[in-house]
Amino acid sequence: MMFLEQVMAILWKDVRSEWRSKQMWTGMGLFAILVLVIFNFAFDLRVDNKAAVAPGALWVAFVFASMLGLGRTIAVEREKGTMDRLLLCPVDRKAVYLAKLLGNMLFIGVVEIVALPIFAVLFDVPLFFGPLLPIVLLGTLGIAAVGTLFAAMAAATRARELLLPILVFPLIVPVVIAAVRATGTLLVPAANEPPWLGLMAAFDVIFLSVSMLTFEYIVDE
Amino acid sequence: MALAKRETRVERRDASAKEGSQAKRLPVISMVLLALTFAGMMISIWMVFIYAPTDAIEGDAQRIFYFHLPSAIIGMLAFAIVAVGGVVYLWKKDERWDWAARAAAEVGAVFLTFALITGSIWGRTTWGTWWTWDARLTTTLILWFIYIGYLMLRSYMGRSEAGARAGAVLAIIGLIDVPIIYESVNWWRTLHPQAVLPIGSSPQLPPEMLLTLLVAFVTFTLLFSLLLMQLYQLEKMQTLAQRLRASVEV
Amino acid sequence: MQGITYLVAAYAIVWAGLFAYLGVVMLRIRGVRTELAAVTELMREQQEKNT
Repeated sequence: MMFLEQVMAILWKDVRSEWRSKQMWTGMGLFAILVLVIFNFAFDLRVDNKAAVAPGALWVAFVFASMLGLGRTIAVEREKGTMDRLLLCPVDRKAVYLAKLLGNMLFIGVVEIVALPIFAVLFDVPLFFGPLLPIVLLGTLGIAAVGTLFAAMAAATRARELLLPILVFPLIVPVVIAAVRATGTLLVPAANEPPWLGLMAAFDVIFLSVSMLTFEYIVDE
Repeated sequence: MALAKRETRVERRDASAKEGSQAKRLPVISMVLLALTFAGMMISIWMVFIYAPTDAIEGDAQRIFYFHLPSAIIGMLAFAIVAVGGVVYLWKKDERWDWAARAAAEVGAVFLTFALITGSIWGRTTWGTWWTWDARLTTTLILWFIYIGYLMLRSYMGRSEAGARAGAVLAIIGLIDVPIIYESVNWWRTLHPQAVLPIGSSPQLPPEMLLTLLVAFVTFTLLFSLLLMQLYQLEKMQTLAQRLRASVEV
Repeated sequence: MQGITYLVAAYAIVWAGLFAYLGVVMLRIRGVRTELAAVTELMREQQEKNT
């Protein structure tokens, strides 16, 4: 099988199995919205404050929901033992990584699409869906690229839900900074902003490649 | 398994003979390093507190700097050792590189912890604040978290090949990420111009201060090497002990 | 005067910390040596039993 075919095959398998359960989607979605609500209480949101806090709240919700989602996909695989069976096949490990990554991005993406309008309503900010899309895409890709790799790592340990955020949060700091600032600039245009999208794109390219290349060292026995 | 045991019995007898002579050499190096480190510490303390002149602007508290800077730099360089050790381990599959990486991670984390604590105290005395989110401090803090993450990962995964490989990958990603983190925090900071802490950016250090700093640097490097050696031996012995116990309890 | 207190505190922390850490490392090394001795002893007994 060609590389891309392998990716698609694994991805389709994952999507089908998660589609059936639907637990993760609803769980992650509710969690993201709850985080947004708690932010409302955590920060005193007057009119002038909202624009400053809103991007941060949005991305905290996305990051935390992503952690939940990332942990779950690989954990389910380990529980069912399907990961070992998959690795027995002569499938390119890079394809496995890419499929996992795309699957994770799909799940997180669905949650984000649901959370965004609710975010716009709760925080009373206009929803610039068009320009927001590249920011959310690049940001999620950055989080998922690193997160997928480390989810595979943490899955082998007992405290995997605890270990995954501990490993991933420090590493995705550039993405979080860039995403929050880029979103903030959308809501409140500012002059002389550094090229945040460019930073995210560079981060994504670098860590996607490194993760794809090192994934085999993590999963192979 | 039984066949393997019968073969390895002979190998082990030869190995332990070699170990004996090797083990006799190592304490000598350790002793020398210990003596040098101790001497260096004594000299450094004298230089820091007596030899070095009092800073005109910052007063006596500035002397914290002589221990703060070496521990910070060595703490950061140690991470490069962890990453390089990881890369070579993945490439050559020689576990000794993993022992070195793990040892460097632990000592580096200790040094970086001291750097953060002394840096915070120094910042408090000179600029009135225990912390500020400038690029250098923030990146140091994040590196510290990466260290802790590495140590936790290795601890949770136990003494195994999988653990060694996972650690190596984490270290590689961490090493690549640190400059990116630094730059992104820098960009972020330019939007919130706060008081820039001129840590280490003092224009010219008088020669006495420079010498003191150098001596402190050498001392800390010696200390690092000493601790690294001890921890390497510790890793080696623990791996050996685990392997032997596993073969015995079969 | 305040500056010196901080200075002493900083150095005291570093020194105490270093000594504590060195102590911990020494303890761990001693622990491993004991374990190694115990295991090699066990191995010797097993060898004698087999031969």
